[in-house]
Amino acid sequence: MVRMGKNDHAAVRAILAGDKEAYGALVVRHSHSLFRVAFRITGNEADAEDVVQEAFLRGYQKLESFEARSSFGTWIYRIAVRGALDRISRRPAVDSSRVAGSADPEQDEVQVADTAVRPDRLLLSGEIGALLQSALQRLTPAERTAFVLRHMEDCTAEEIAAALGIAPNAAKQAVFRAVKKLRIRLAALRVKR
Amino acid sequence: MKHLNEEEMTEQYYKQGKAHARRHLEACAECAEDFAAFKSDLDAMQSAELPARDAAYGERVWRSIAPCLPVYEARKRSWLRSGAWRGLSYASACAVLVAGAFIAGRVWEHMQIRTTAGANPTAIPQKATPPQQRLVVVVLSDHLERSERLLVELKHADAGSEEMVSPLRDEARSLLTANRVCRRNAEKNDDPALAAALARLDHLLVELANHQGGLNAAALARLQEEMNSDSLLFEVRVLRSRIPDQQPAANKRPIGGTI
Repeated sequence: MVRMGKNDHAAVRAILAGDKEAYGALVVRHSHSLFRVAFRITGNEADAEDVVQEAFLRGYQKLESFEARSSFGTWIYRIAVRGALDRISRRPAVDSSRVAGSADPEQDEVQVADTAVRPDRLLLSGEIGALLQSALQRLTPAERTAFVLRHMEDCTAEEIAAALGIAPNAAKQAVFRAVKKLRIRLAALRVKR
Repeated sequence: MKHLNEEEMTEQYYKQGKAHARRHLEACAECAEDFAAFKSDLDAMQSAELPARDAAYGERVWRSIAPCLPVYEARKRSWLRSGAWRGLSYASACAVLVAGAFIAGRVWEHMQIRTTAGANPTAIPQKATPPQQRLVVVVLSDHLERSERLLVELKHADAGSEEMVSPLRDEARSLLTANRVCRRNAEKNDDPALAAALARLDHLLVELANHQGGLNAAALARLQEEMNSDSLLFEVRVLRSRIPDQQPAANKRPIGGTI
């Protein structure tokens, strides 16, 4: 049975003192947030579950190097982000030649009824998730991770940089590139009048 | 007017834009329209629906990994990892560093002395000289300096000038005693080069001090020739260069003189 109630730092101290079960509390507390970010980066449920398990395993192994100055939640979150990034980096590269501009934009274009105030800019909300995933797949792993952290996880450039182990400016540039590529890719979905 | 580029719009969208870009956006209708389109695109980029995970998900993760985790060994001597111990470790490391630097400095200094000695094997090692020997070195140094001065003056002496010759004779007499002491000491210390040079100098000093009938032109010319053929002046200068400088830097004078 997982015990709850201890704060993270107390739990870490207990684990390092020989109380392995105390780690259970940390796993329960942070599993959902790790799954969320892992799923957003990998875009795959099974991969996300694997990333969560691996992150907690690695976290346990490296617990002695965890410094109490930072939050355990932030620390394990970064481990999960890097695990997810590693996982998508190992995947076979998706042909990104079409990202900069579809060879045949008509294939991606979906026509819908004009119901919004700005129909020329309207995107299909029902299908956008799947199409966005497709567009995300064509970004580089770093761009994709940076965009997910910025756009969906609401991380700052500094937090993204820390999670990816890069400079804040490099993190900003990765987000810029991702936004640019995604807008080009998703432009074909806009309703034309 | 410079319109916003896509990077600036991205910064504005994520509320990390600069103030001047924000003011421009408020003032420029064209940029405001572009930004609205930009915002619409990004607003639509929402994550695919997250697969539901129930409340027991965390416990399932824990049960799946728990068997793989070893138990950390209890820290019986936790004070070892405390801040005090860490501070003590830093202090010890610093002490080791300082000691290392000191020893390295001494070794380096010692090696420098040996290198210098190796490069000039004829030099008299200053640090190896015992106190009584150091006194002899000082006396020898002073004697050679005076002798060198005498030889230079002898080389340029004019036999017709009694004012020039007379002090040379007096100085030669004065140097004779010191020269004999130094010569005996060189023989005692098994320094044949120095002893031989001082012997030739002794012969010259004797002739200069006790020349029968005074120093006429012929006698002076013979002494000068004898001095030159023996390269006595040169030899005295070489001997002086072998002796480490005993004087403070402020009192140093250049060795030798103009010929």
